[in-house]
Amino acid sequence: MILRQLYGACLLGNPEDAGNGASFFVRSATPEESIISMAQTPISRGFRSRRQEQTSKDRLPPGQYVTTDFPVLSAGPTPQTKLEDWSLALQLGGSLLGKWSWAEFEALPQTTIKTDIHCVTKWSKLDTTWQGVTFDDLLTAVGLAEPPEPYVMAHCDGGYTTNVPVEDLVGGKGMVVTRYEGFPIALAHGGPARLFVPHLYFWKSAKWVRRLRFMEEDERGFWESLGYHNYGDPWKEQRYDGD
Amino acid sequence: MIETRAAPVRRLEWQLAEVREIIVETFRVKSLLLHVPGWRGHLPGQHVDIRLTAEDGYQAQRSYSIASPPEDELLALTVEKVDNGEVSPYLVEDLRAGDQFELRGPIGGYFVWTVAMRGPLWLVAGGSGIAPLMAMLRHRCRRKVRTRALLLYSSRSLEDVIYREELDAMARCDPELRVVNTLTRKQPEGWTGRRRRIDKELLAEVCFPPDQNPKIFVCGPTSLVEAVSRLLVELGHDPLTIKTERFGPSGWAP
Amino acid sequence: MGTMTGNDSALVLDGNAAAGLLQEIFVLEITTAQIQCEACGSTEAVGSLRLHAAPMGAVLRCPHCDASLMTAVRTPHGRWLQITGARCLKF
Repeated sequence: MILRQLYGACLLGNPEDAGNGASFFVRSATPEESIISMAQTPISRGFRSRRQEQTSKDRLPPGQYVTTDFPVLSAGPTPQTKLEDWSLALQLGGSLLGKWSWAEFEALPQTTIKTDIHCVTKWSKLDTTWQGVTFDDLLTAVGLAEPPEPYVMAHCDGGYTTNVPVEDLVGGKGMVVTRYEGFPIALAHGGPARLFVPHLYFWKSAKWVRRLRFMEEDERGFWESLGYHNYGDPWKEQRYDGD
Repeated sequence: MIETRAAPVRRLEWQLAEVREIIVETFRVKSLLLHVPGWRGHLPGQHVDIRLTAEDGYQAQRSYSIASPPEDELLALTVEKVDNGEVSPYLVEDLRAGDQFELRGPIGGYFVWTVAMRGPLWLVAGGSGIAPLMAMLRHRCRRKVRTRALLLYSSRSLEDVIYREELDAMARCDPELRVVNTLTRKQPEGWTGRRRRIDKELLAEVCFPPDQNPKIFVCGPTSLVEAVSRLLVELGHDPLTIKTERFGPSGWAP
Repeated sequence: MGTMTGNDSALVLDGNAAAGLLQEIFVLEITTAQIQCEACGSTEAVGSLRLHAAPMGAVLRCPHCDASLMTAVRTPHGRWLQITGARCLKF
């Protein structure tokens, strides 16, 4: 039954809407395992998270564990954009406020930041160093004192999108980064450039960013349309829609 | 070749599995023999999800292929310890007979072979990718069916060949089963077998030609699986006859 | 610690590896279902699609053109399924 309804909806929906989240919410019929009390979930004798060995509790948002490696997670294959073909654009409505080639982008004021990053899959990495261009400096470069709209959608090679309020990008809170620990960001980790919004869960730090589109109203990006939280504050443990 | 099973599947429920026996297969690999009350059987090639819960409530979930055939009473999971892994070191080093953990399955009707599907059967394994393929070979052996079968198994060294004695014994008493080992990093003195990574030449030497329409299953690290499937297609095999199971690090799955 | 060493490639698996999650949603065996790609028209078994993004969710892509066919996510509040990239599914 459900399948027929979904199939019908697929036919009616405009395939172009896929990016805006023509998803179907299937409410599960039984309670999720995670709300079953501890007494019912069997403990595996002697098992503990390897990550617990290095917990620095006051620096970690709730539910997070420290890792020393750097797991790679992507919703699709790694794009292979060459630097000579790369550009970054700021878009407002139908026009571009600014567009930079790689050389032009590298010539913009550079900022280095050392901070912690938190993935919604529960790993956190402390004291990571990144270098790139702040969102503030991008606005300055296109002659704007303030963002023209309250929201931004990041568009990336491979089709990934994520939405961020401009308030969470200005004041040094958001950057487009090109270097990690002094080295160019590896392709699998989002190189040559990724969005960087470390105070939110790391899915918001969109890999392979190519365009920042200003929006008058908020729209949900890829994971935000598929059950993840629209905002994603790790300190409030906003992992999923409904948290 | 694509099997369509339109039958409804049983709802996946978490069950408690009890470790009955632990077998040391190699230096970093162990097989866990599990008793799962009410287990209703599985098809060779299927896997299970397991879930571990720490005292503080932290949970980790992974998938492992079932290495035992449906004819065996206990369920076997063969686990390779991944350095810095979160789950496999626990399963390989800490688990004892009598311990329990949550398990659900069987899962996945796609990567499956039974004697009813006939052959020739061509299995290509890299490292711990041998596990689901071993379920297929053990099933074939239990049923005493002499479907022509070939296992091409790539390991780092002889010590890393999982189920070595069992595979040798199977091949010795069954002329229709060929087991070809290739050791890629270290070979014992006097080794006359293959000693390189699986390449096009090796596949062409040790194979069922495309016109025999073999059922092909490739399992192991992603790099091996992708290389082998590409080469098989280049050698003229219909992609629809090739089924792959890429292993991520330590059994990752959504 | 200072470099991105370790596993530097993103995890790509076969659709079969998403069977546990998908089987929580579908009544019929999903890995052997035939799925047709809206973008390029090719048809494959769900078990043979390319699986990305574990453990955040399951993004199943066409092995021919990489288009996203089906995405599933399990959350504490329910399960999400998007299949707009698929023209149809046959069980």
